[in-house]
Amino acid sequence: MKKVLYITGSLSLVIALVSCGGPRKDEGRAYMPDMAYSRAYETYSSTEALDKANIHYVARPVEGTIARGEMPAYTLKNDSAGYAQSAFVKNPLDSADLTAEQLTEAARLYQINCGICHGAKLDGNGPLYTSGAYPAAPRNLIGDPLMLAMTEGTMFHSVTYGKNLMGSYASQLSTKQRWQIIAFIKAEQAKKGAPAAAAPAAADSTAKK
Amino acid sequence: MILCKPIGQRLSVLFLSFFALSVVSVSAQDAAAGKALYASKCGACHNIFKKMTGPALGGLEDRHKWADHKELLAWINNPAAYMAKDAYTQGLKAEYGSMMTGFPEITLKDVDDLVAYINAEVVAQKSGGDKKDVAAEAPDTSNQNALIFGIISLILGVVALILMQVNSNLKKMSDDAEGILRPAPLPFYRNKTYIALASVIFFVFGGYMVAKGAIGLGRQTNYQPDQPIFYSHKVHAGINQINCLYCHGNAWESKHAAIPSVNVCMNCHKAISTYEKGPKLYNDRGEEIDGTAEIAKLYKYAGFDPNNPNKWDPSMAKPIEWVKIHNLPDHVYFNHSQHVTAGNVQCQSCHGEITAMDEVKQVAELSMGWCINCHRQTNVNFNYDSTKGNKFYSIYEKFHNDIKSGKMDSVKVKDIGGLECQKCHY
Repeated sequence: MKKVLYITGSLSLVIALVSCGGPRKDEGRAYMPDMAYSRAYETYSSTEALDKANIHYVARPVEGTIARGEMPAYTLKNDSAGYAQSAFVKNPLDSADLTAEQLTEAARLYQINCGICHGAKLDGNGPLYTSGAYPAAPRNLIGDPLMLAMTEGTMFHSVTYGKNLMGSYASQLSTKQRWQIIAFIKAEQAKKGAPAAAAPAAADSTAKK
Repeated sequence: MILCKPIGQRLSVLFLSFFALSVVSVSAQDAAAGKALYASKCGACHNIFKKMTGPALGGLEDRHKWADHKELLAWINNPAAYMAKDAYTQGLKAEYGSMMTGFPEITLKDVDDLVAYINAEVVAQKSGGDKKDVAAEAPDTSNQNALIFGIISLILGVVALILMQVNSNLKKMSDDAEGILRPAPLPFYRNKTYIALASVIFFVFGGYMVAKGAIGLGRQTNYQPDQPIFYSHKVHAGINQINCLYCHGNAWESKHAAIPSVNVCMNCHKAISTYEKGPKLYNDRGEEIDGTAEIAKLYKYAGFDPNNPNKWDPSMAKPIEWVKIHNLPDHVYFNHSQHVTAGNVQCQSCHGEITAMDEVKQVAELSMGWCINCHRQTNVNFNYDSTKGNKFYSIYEKFHNDIKSGKMDSVKVKDIGGLECQKCHY
């Protein structure tokens, strides 16, 4: 009888172990650890060991350098003087950068990064605001006279450094992508019958340079 | 006495709602006009209940001289001129870091409408505050089911064993009664049939477990670590419809999908400081999670003070150390942009129904067989024209010609080298 107890006991233990579900919290073991874990520093790996060896890795490009294919950095400072000056900055992209295809790409970038608040139709009714999750009314980009009058330079300045509640998008969008989005917004404004003054200005900037 | 109390409560509720209704109905027209005005002029910088770019507007008549709407109008029409001789608004500018934009087109009637709307909202908030009990969602019960099934099968097994013992005992008794002589029965653990059966079961079961364990080495299916902040993809990507690429934009153009830095979180959470409207959140142990407290954790990393939003310096934020879930061994190369941009693969194909997950777990096993299987079955988007479709595969001239002439109807990933070793291992 003792053995019966033994066997049923161990059986129930096995079943208990197998049925022990719940979310998995451990990474498990690697089959060949020497080929599974990188010896080089990978993206997001801790730089603590480097710090200890007195190597201070800042994870940022060297000041004044430009990545391949990227545009020269925007020079105006994030202060009221820079904001005022930004009104005179023209969109440096030429017409080759603003083809219909490029504007489709800009529309895609707009829907991902801006549409969530400013709305898919640029009317300030993004899903985050209309659902009541976001407490501030985003600007209506095609109806608000303030936005129609705002120059592309000032828009770019605001997107680069953030304005009021809007944060900076410089970390999410490259300089070129930001200018493309501004060009897309200006084109949409022109479509919706923006004041005559704004449309030629936008056309100028694309024709020049 | 038993009847009395509910009636009393009902009466008081009735009275309260009547009171609230009367307040609202008196100013209903004004509030409606005020609401439209508020949305177009004030809403971008002000909220009624919390400080944002500008002060919270609820209860503004109790502050400064704003009960006098003419004073308020003078301030709104020309803030710079009003501030020159007024200490209170100078203090506001010092606190919020910028002066309010002037609205010279606003009239005294507009101000009355706006204040009526703001007061109506404050009243609505106060009366609506008590009845906020959302039906609690029961946590997932599938684990409990598995346990119940396990216990039932254990009990059935024990019953079967007992019945077999009873059967052999009865047989022995009947043999004794009829005087049939048989050799003394062996106990079941020395019975060769039982031993053979047990060893077969042992080897099948043990072999299955060993093979399963060996295959599982280095794989992390269902891996769901605890993260430093209870970040719910269900709330962000599901309910609030934020595009995956808003935070993981690098998936479009780089090897890594990238974890958003704190400033990306703060793009929205500068304004959203509480979690109120969404469904109740539970972690995997069934404990309820306080969303507002989790947002407060984010503020700690960001160095952000919600009572002083305009003093925030993004450069002082500290990175959040999220735990990486989807790990590939170092000897495998995987590139997100190749799959997302060139291949048009949806995020959910590999990461599962992310928009329904509170805590993310690894759904796919990320094994080589799993990769290869998909490469064998998936069609490549070869049909491109000038506007849509991708041009990434335009150099495969033979395939394009074959598709045109009808020799092939589709090109799989394996046809363009999706099974070659050195594509992923080098």
